[in-house]
Amino acid sequence: MKVGLFIPCYINQLYPQVGKATLELLEKLNVEVVYPSGQTCCGQPMANSGYESESVGACHHFVNNFKDFDYIVTPSGSCAYHVKKHYNIIPQTNDVTKVRNNVYELCDFILNVLKVKKLGAYFPHKVGVHKSCHGLRGLRLGSCSERVTPEYSYIEDLLKEVKGVELIPVKRSDECCGFGGTFAVTEEAVSVKMGKDKIKDHLESGVEVITATDTSCLMHLEGLVTRNKQPLKILHIAEILNSNL
Amino acid sequence: MSHPQLASIFNKDEKKVNWHDKALWFVRHKRDMSVHHVQGWEELRNLGHGIKAHMLSNLDAYLEEFEANAKKNGVEVHWATNAEEHNQIVHKILKENNAKKVVKSKSMLTEECHLNPYLEADGIEVVDTDLGERIVQLAKEPPSHIVLPAIHKNKHEVDELFQEHLGTKPCDGDPQYLTGEARKHLRQKFIEADAAITGVNFAIAETGGFVVCTNEGNADMGAHIAPIHIACMGVEKIIPKLEHLGVFLRLLARSATGQPVTTYSSHFKKPKADKKMHIVIVDNGRSEQLSRPDFRASLHCIRCGACMNTCPIYRRSGGHSYDATIPGPIGSILSPGKDLSKHSSLPFASTLCGSCSDVCPVKIDIHAQLYKWRQIITKNTPQPFIKKKSMQMMGNIFAKPKKFEKIGKIARWSLRNLPKSLINSKPNAWGKARDLPEGPKQSFDEWYNERKQNKNS
Amino acid sequence: MGSRAEILAKIKANKPESLELPNIDPLIFDEGLNLVEEFTKKVEVVGGNVREIKSNVDVISHVKTFFPDSKVNFSTLEKTTDFNTLDLASIKSPQDLEDLDVLILESDLAVAENGAVWVADSQLPFRVLPFITKHLVLVVSKKHIVPYMHQAYQKLNNAPTDFGVFISGPSKTADIEQSLVIGAHGALSLTVFLKS
Repeated sequence: MKVGLFIPCYINQLYPQVGKATLELLEKLNVEVVYPSGQTCCGQPMANSGYESESVGACHHFVNNFKDFDYIVTPSGSCAYHVKKHYNIIPQTNDVTKVRNNVYELCDFILNVLKVKKLGAYFPHKVGVHKSCHGLRGLRLGSCSERVTPEYSYIEDLLKEVKGVELIPVKRSDECCGFGGTFAVTEEAVSVKMGKDKIKDHLESGVEVITATDTSCLMHLEGLVTRNKQPLKILHIAEILNSNL
Repeated sequence: MSHPQLASIFNKDEKKVNWHDKALWFVRHKRDMSVHHVQGWEELRNLGHGIKAHMLSNLDAYLEEFEANAKKNGVEVHWATNAEEHNQIVHKILKENNAKKVVKSKSMLTEECHLNPYLEADGIEVVDTDLGERIVQLAKEPPSHIVLPAIHKNKHEVDELFQEHLGTKPCDGDPQYLTGEARKHLRQKFIEADAAITGVNFAIAETGGFVVCTNEGNADMGAHIAPIHIACMGVEKIIPKLEHLGVFLRLLARSATGQPVTTYSSHFKKPKADKKMHIVIVDNGRSEQLSRPDFRASLHCIRCGACMNTCPIYRRSGGHSYDATIPGPIGSILSPGKDLSKHSSLPFASTLCGSCSDVCPVKIDIHAQLYKWRQIITKNTPQPFIKKKSMQMMGNIFAKPKKFEKIGKIARWSLRNLPKSLINSKPNAWGKARDLPEGPKQSFDEWYNERKQNKNS
Repeated sequence: MGSRAEILAKIKANKPESLELPNIDPLIFDEGLNLVEEFTKKVEVVGGNVREIKSNVDVISHVKTFFPDSKVNFSTLEKTTDFNTLDLASIKSPQDLEDLDVLILESDLAVAENGAVWVADSQLPFRVLPFITKHLVLVVSKKHIVPYMHQAYQKLNNAPTDFGVFISGPSKTADIEQSLVIGAHGALSLTVFLKS
């Protein structure tokens, strides 16, 4: 099994520690993982802003980078979802279809491809999960509160096996945090309000650490927590799953 | 004004935003409590979707069938291509019958057509009888929600409004008292009315009958007392068979308010011998929306309002921030089809979180349609120069890894070294209320390559 | 071209290829409800009251204790002429029904899942009756309760009416700050008598 590690642009530049944790975690699980150099972006920022056509170059570049892998794994539900859902704007060659079919969000890959639950991690904290929307309602990485389906959550399944973690339920289990890509700046007022409300929910529930499958949501929440000097730590799920004694 | 502008004005009063958000979240919560007890809910949604999709694919035939049966029932059927013609038809019916006083129950279609001002211009009194609609009518405002028209007003505002217009006593916003006074006030209007106008929730092709759902009983009070009943419907309100009501009535109220069904589901078919019943079938852009494969499913909408209650943006920006007859997510996919320029900011008033699509009782892929409207809007309406250029630049950078790495380096250096006051200054909307991350010295790419070299050496 | 032809032509030109009409299988929704229990629960949830009785005779005595001050009464039940104070012959228009205090109607269809009771035109000398009355009393046999709306429409398919209404609870509104107020424009209370 040849696994290509896809590190989204903003993680590469701004949150390299998330990339490192993802790589180390996969290596711990004895996965033969390669990081193809020269990665950029999946194209989502342009496409979600209404400029799908400007993202075509990024799409081709992405497919070229990853066409030879059996699986493509990424610490971002949102980017994986974008490749799966929106790479219909370029000709559907075998390479494109293969890449679209085989791209996985990290937790999904660990649970459903590697079929591993216990990762030997230790993290003695009260953790609140933010269920990032594209992962939740796009990739269906868990059940959402709107639909009447059996309850499940990949990220929580993995967290439950982490020694020391106390999972803290919040009032609104799967409301959006308000990041939304360029929405965060074009609709600044609402975006900030949504983020503030999300943080308030976690703080009032007694959460010490917020985690998620997406660093983009977390960057938004971290920006607010830092500015307002709130007692919350923000970590990507890979960082928690990769923590040791 | 655009949605972000109106939303940011709404957000100046954070207490009000909190209140608005909580009130609507409560409705969403009631909906959850209700639907999670329905066995086969997702199947029911599939049926709702499938019946509507089938209906649209045979709409002309069903409309003809409906008309023929309605005529057999003694109902007069009228057709209006647009809002203007709809208003003319209603006006003409009223004139012919010398009707001066009209009571109207909730109908988003008559809002869409701006019927009230049209009739009022000719001295006809039109009284909205749904309590929420009456409140906004007295306040001279449009409804801010399709099921809860006055959800943006608190009880004290209603108290003051009623004191001014209905001569009520100050009551510290007691809803029981205010509703009682409205009942008395509107009872008089019902008794005096020359004609009643209602909307239509479902029109059944095989019977020629139609169903109107209310909780207050206002549609029935109007329609059964006044000598004339005019029911106005969009072409998409058709369902093929009576048995399909079993699906839609199970979906509608649960999605709207969490009730198992509305208090009154009234099935109108034949007028009483001494009364007249008219149906006005309206297109007003619907047939055009039908022509758009990506957007035609928006015509499945049964107007439950669940997408508004669930939308985190709607709850925190208020219905009026959409500046459209139908606000919220469903409005944001319907309105651009009518006036792309005017409503060009609406498909962007979303994080594409997808909650609207999952809550929708007839499974309209609302968030996917928002995404598709965005692609059309950037091509067909003038876009800010900066937005256009920056998107081109990003597209360019992301296609070329060397450029990306170079620019990333500069950005990280800036984040580390420039003063925060500069980073968070005006042009950076992000920085107004949020910090940017510290720029790390090394990108992941650099770290990985370094590690690889260390391993090799 | 008239508007009718224009609209139909545009729809014909713009509609997608015909899609199949899905079939409704009521069995997939069946939870094996206890019909009387569920119906009672739902009527109470929507703000109504349920009383079990043996026969129609019990209805009037109950109603008299529930509404001791009622002056204007009307009932379509058999053998309730003593109870009726409303002379239908004197009613010229629906407006004249404004003072009606209590209305008693019989129904042969009720729905467990939502507490709705079907009221059909055939027993309504004036359609506005169940809405304009202050208090509404509905009498249904337990054997006439169906589990879901699907079964209700199977029954209605064979019993066409000129006008009919499902009534679930008394009239209500929550338009002022989401506070539920019973008694909007229609009946202020609803009582359902279930006959064994």
